[in-house]
Amino acid sequence: MTSLTTSPALSVRGLTKRFGDRVVLEGFDLDVRAGEVVSVLGANGSGKSTMLRCLSGLTKFDGGSVTVAGREMRSGERVPEFAMVFQKIHLVPQLSALENVCAGALGRLSFWQAWAPRAFPADVREEAMGCLDRVGLAERAHDRARRLSGGQQQRVAVARALCQRAGVLLADEPVSSLDPAAAEQVMRLLRSLADDGMAVAAVLHQPELARRHSDRVVGLTGGRITLNIPPSALTDADVDALYAPDYAAEGGLT
Amino acid sequence: MSATLNTTPARRLPVPPRRRTVGWLVTTAAVLAVVVGLHVVAVRETEFSLPELVTGWHGIWSFLFGDPKTAGALPPDLSWKIVGPALGACAVTFSMGLLGTTLSIPFALFLALLGSRTTSKNVVVYQLARALMSFLRSVPSLVWGLIYVTAVGLGPFPGVLAIITHNTGVMGKLWSEAMEETDRGPLEALRSAGASPAQTAAHAVLPSVTPQFTSLFLYRVDVNVRDALTLGVIGAGGIGFYITQAIQEFQFNVMMTYVLMVTVMVIALDLLSAWLRGRIMQ
Repeated sequence: MTSLTTSPALSVRGLTKRFGDRVVLEGFDLDVRAGEVVSVLGANGSGKSTMLRCLSGLTKFDGGSVTVAGREMRSGERVPEFAMVFQKIHLVPQLSALENVCAGALGRLSFWQAWAPRAFPADVREEAMGCLDRVGLAERAHDRARRLSGGQQQRVAVARALCQRAGVLLADEPVSSLDPAAAEQVMRLLRSLADDGMAVAAVLHQPELARRHSDRVVGLTGGRITLNIPPSALTDADVDALYAPDYAAEGGLT
Repeated sequence: MSATLNTTPARRLPVPPRRRTVGWLVTTAAVLAVVVGLHVVAVRETEFSLPELVTGWHGIWSFLFGDPKTAGALPPDLSWKIVGPALGACAVTFSMGLLGTTLSIPFALFLALLGSRTTSKNVVVYQLARALMSFLRSVPSLVWGLIYVTAVGLGPFPGVLAIITHNTGVMGKLWSEAMEETDRGPLEALRSAGASPAQTAAHAVLPSVTPQFTSLFLYRVDVNVRDALTLGVIGAGGIGFYITQAIQEFQFNVMMTYVLMVTVMVIALDLLSAWLRGRIMQ
């Protein structure tokens, strides 16, 4: 653990992504150390989500390098070290919380070791119980995901990421669909996971949450980093500058 | 003290006119002309003629109320010696529909997984599976029945085989579309967690669509029991066969009993299936 805290768990250099002629990311750099929460702020279309999707292997990138836990990943490669948490949560609503968490382990299981949600081996189910307990939902293990509140569902999704045994948690607007209390709880959970030694990179739309829960704030404008500061240094003027493209795009009331 | 609420209505503004171009008018007129034209052709081709129906009314009258030689359909013969055996025949028809649907599940599931864009990435496999499903469902179960009769002879068994074959095509298509309409989010989440395509199908896609699958299955049982009825008419046994026999023997009052029993069975099944589907989709 000590070696991880000195060298970054995740190191991105010069990440570039184009969709046709449109440059979405250009020379994006990011370091996230174990034990650190880094918030990424930026207007719609600034490249935040694309950046996370490139890291998680869901989208291929065109240039730059991504090093995770000392190993460089190829574009489009799925690295088990990365776990994603999504704005729309993306649990399977018909399955129980426990079955959803178990699914995080699929990457290290063969098809026949877990051919159906009810067929996970005992050790995976017990590990998943541990993950559910970590997010404070052990007693809801057998409830269907759709019966849980939005905040509880997002915590189950975090437990799924834990069951994946990932070292880096990538959160794409994890609290945008949640009420303030649930959002607060999810952010505290991410904070405490970092305190346990995880590296957390979270795209956020709430500067307030970024100020209170992160160690560093990174601002993206037009696919480039325009800000990389401690949260205490984040001013309202910084925020207005970052979201200026959104104000322009919304039009109408000025 | 009470503050005065501002209830003045907002200023009125003229509603800007919707832009309708000449192109829109031409397209609408053309579509209307084609639709009307098709119906004119259809009326001619089917020799559709209301006057003929009116002048032939006495045929229907003697069918319903009888003539000096035969008993009419009304009143139906509700004696137990007719109703008793017919109950058994209804059970045969129901069994054909149920068994045909249930036994088509593995084939339909297999083709649906290969023929759905959500679970099938290989374009060739996808197109082949869809083509096979189209073929199976475009051949009516009556034709499949006649083919199977040459192999196993008359009776309910070729009827079940016919329903399995036809229903594999229909249910496979319905199921594959249910999978294509499902939220792709959970699939993506598992993919990012390193799950293989087979694993995402088993752990994200299939669990998400289980309610739709069950609902479509119940709907198909309902349809296939009615299909089994028509298969019975061509010799696959059950209540459909009883109806044919009664007509051939000019026992219209007996036929009417069978028709009433079928109606009750179909409505009961329809209600049950709709109720179950409602519970599942909650």
